[in-house]
Amino acid sequence: MRPLTLRRLLWTCGGLAVLLLASVILALKLGAVPVSVTDLVIDLGRIAIGRANELPTEYRLIVFDLRLPRILLGILVGAALSVAGASFQALLRNPLADPYVLGVSSGAALGSILALILAPQFALVTPVGAFLGAIGAIAGVYFLGRREGQLDSTTLLLGGIISASFFSAIIMFLMTTLAGRDLRGMVFWLMGDLSTPVSSGMQWIFTVGLLAGIGAIYSTSADLNLLLTGEREATHLGVDVTRVKLVVYVSASLLTALAVSASGAIGYVGLLVPHAVRLIFGSDYRLLIPASALCGAIAIVLADTLARTIVPPTELPVGAMTAMAGAPVFIYLLRRGLR
Amino acid sequence: MALKSMRSAINGASAGFRRQRLALFFAAVAAFFLIPWGGLVAGQTSARTGANSPRRELTDEIGRKVEIPREVNRVVSLAPNLTEIVFALGDGNRLAGDTDFCDYPAEALQKPHVGGPVNPNLEEIVALMPDLVLATKSINRRETVNALDRIGLPVYVTGEPHSVEEMISSVEHLGSALGMEESAAMVAKNLRGRLAELDRRLSGAVPRRVLFVVWTDPLISVGRGTFIADALRRAGAESVVDTNEEWPHVSMEDIVRLQPEALVFASAHAGDTQRDIDALRTRPGWKDLDAIQHGNIVVVSEAINRPAPRMVDAIERLAGALHPEAFRSASGTGFSLWQLFFAEANPHRLKPVPHEEACACAR
Repeated sequence: MRPLTLRRLLWTCGGLAVLLLASVILALKLGAVPVSVTDLVIDLGRIAIGRANELPTEYRLIVFDLRLPRILLGILVGAALSVAGASFQALLRNPLADPYVLGVSSGAALGSILALILAPQFALVTPVGAFLGAIGAIAGVYFLGRREGQLDSTTLLLGGIISASFFSAIIMFLMTTLAGRDLRGMVFWLMGDLSTPVSSGMQWIFTVGLLAGIGAIYSTSADLNLLLTGEREATHLGVDVTRVKLVVYVSASLLTALAVSASGAIGYVGLLVPHAVRLIFGSDYRLLIPASALCGAIAIVLADTLARTIVPPTELPVGAMTAMAGAPVFIYLLRRGLR
Repeated sequence: MALKSMRSAINGASAGFRRQRLALFFAAVAAFFLIPWGGLVAGQTSARTGANSPRRELTDEIGRKVEIPREVNRVVSLAPNLTEIVFALGDGNRLAGDTDFCDYPAEALQKPHVGGPVNPNLEEIVALMPDLVLATKSINRRETVNALDRIGLPVYVTGEPHSVEEMISSVEHLGSALGMEESAAMVAKNLRGRLAELDRRLSGAVPRRVLFVVWTDPLISVGRGTFIADALRRAGAESVVDTNEEWPHVSMEDIVRLQPEALVFASAHAGDTQRDIDALRTRPGWKDLDAIQHGNIVVVSEAINRPAPRMVDAIERLAGALHPEAFRSASGTGFSLWQLFFAEANPHRLKPVPHEEACACAR
């Protein structure tokens, strides 16, 4: 494998950022009101220098108050889920790990629903509940997956899938027994849906949380490379395994929790994207983490654009699009792994 | 935790390469996210103050304060019953758009659609440039209302009706929101008058014990707090299912034990319902019901499922079918709807009563 240089890292990330920008512009262009790309670029420029007031109202409302926040949310969610997936894959040394498959997304969903029931008056209650749920779920799955002190790949995956269905059953129970007021919203949100904008305060929390989480994981990326060879080997090479694992588990759970509280359980992104990135750019985590973040963002932006425009005016939940693409790939990887 | 580990990573790195790389990476990512969002936050504040037409404030049925233009000319309805109410108020032209499920009256089908009531396309709604959006707590999501709120589109939300009277007061409230108080008062007066007339005719009648079938697989009926249960009471019937749950899943065993006098189905397509009922005749549980064996089945228009003025038509027809004796003397024709539905086990006679027939006797 070619050694990773600063030059290669910057070129790769720069290239992916340009691709992301292109998909954002494509996503901004498509929808109920068609917009030309040239106008978009000019108007984006105007907004960047704070002169948004010069744009016509309806057009600005649709493209910049509805479409753009949704796209930005998609970027955050895609980046968070992909980096969380890549991290879980390193920690568990299992290529099939993904927040959704491991039940972490369901745990986060259950956590935020419980929090919403117990303390609906606090604005921050959903992300915090989701975070606790995600941490609880990954801890549970981790202990389920241990056999004789070793992580067993099959047991781990089974543990994740069983936890996910257990959490879903509790969610179903809570939704049927509690008053039907928020039910419709919940059902939609559970499928993974970006159509509901989050408040601007939440946008900042998500942005800061995402940067902190990805940053923390990125700071351990050299150690993650060594950890892939095995925990004992990594310890011999001078890696503080306990610290790295703690940092990465907490950060990856935080990222999953942020993504879930913003958009529900969008599946398979954390599985698909890191795999694609590994195939193209190699498996050095120093490149894999930022490249996964950018590619995950691209994937969600494009999937959501498809979900918005495939059967107008009805919108599909973006989780349906990612599952349609992701589930077959999961099976392919599983079959390949078994051989 | 995360920040601390970041800092220790940066400080601990011996190579300048690593620090530089991290800084560059974060600067690029931060710039990418923060620039457009900063602009958006700045732009959002002005979006709300952009309105220049005279406005008035009113409180909607769920207690939200809504600021709406004095003159409402373009309305988007997010629920079929609200669409019907706008048409019933007599000015369907003001309706700029409705949902995929708005199928009555026929003009509603011609309006631009904004998707389903649960997941409407927000962009389509904005593109129709409405002065006011109508939503209902019964089917629309709170998130949709919040999203429209945030971008500054006024949304009037009607509550979840628990009685026919609440439906009528919704008509009046929407009338005042749309500046059509007079026609709303007329519609309300007409509906209340017809209901009072029904009450008068049915005053001596013993309520029929019925099972209202919302869905057959699984069997879903109505709870006592729903507007349908109230509609049944208005039509001289009472539901054998009596529960606090709104749309209870009912066990067939209970229904066989309760033995309702009649089954009430609501249907838009009489043919489909007839096929469904034919299938039920041979099903375990269903075939043990006296109502099925004797053909005591009433099919009313699906209008009874929709809290809109047309619901009263369905109530009148149901009352006529269940209590023909109460209407016989008035109409003078002596025909018996009760016999039409009850005496005959022949499924081919099973059809909703034509509108004029049923209403002629009730009005």
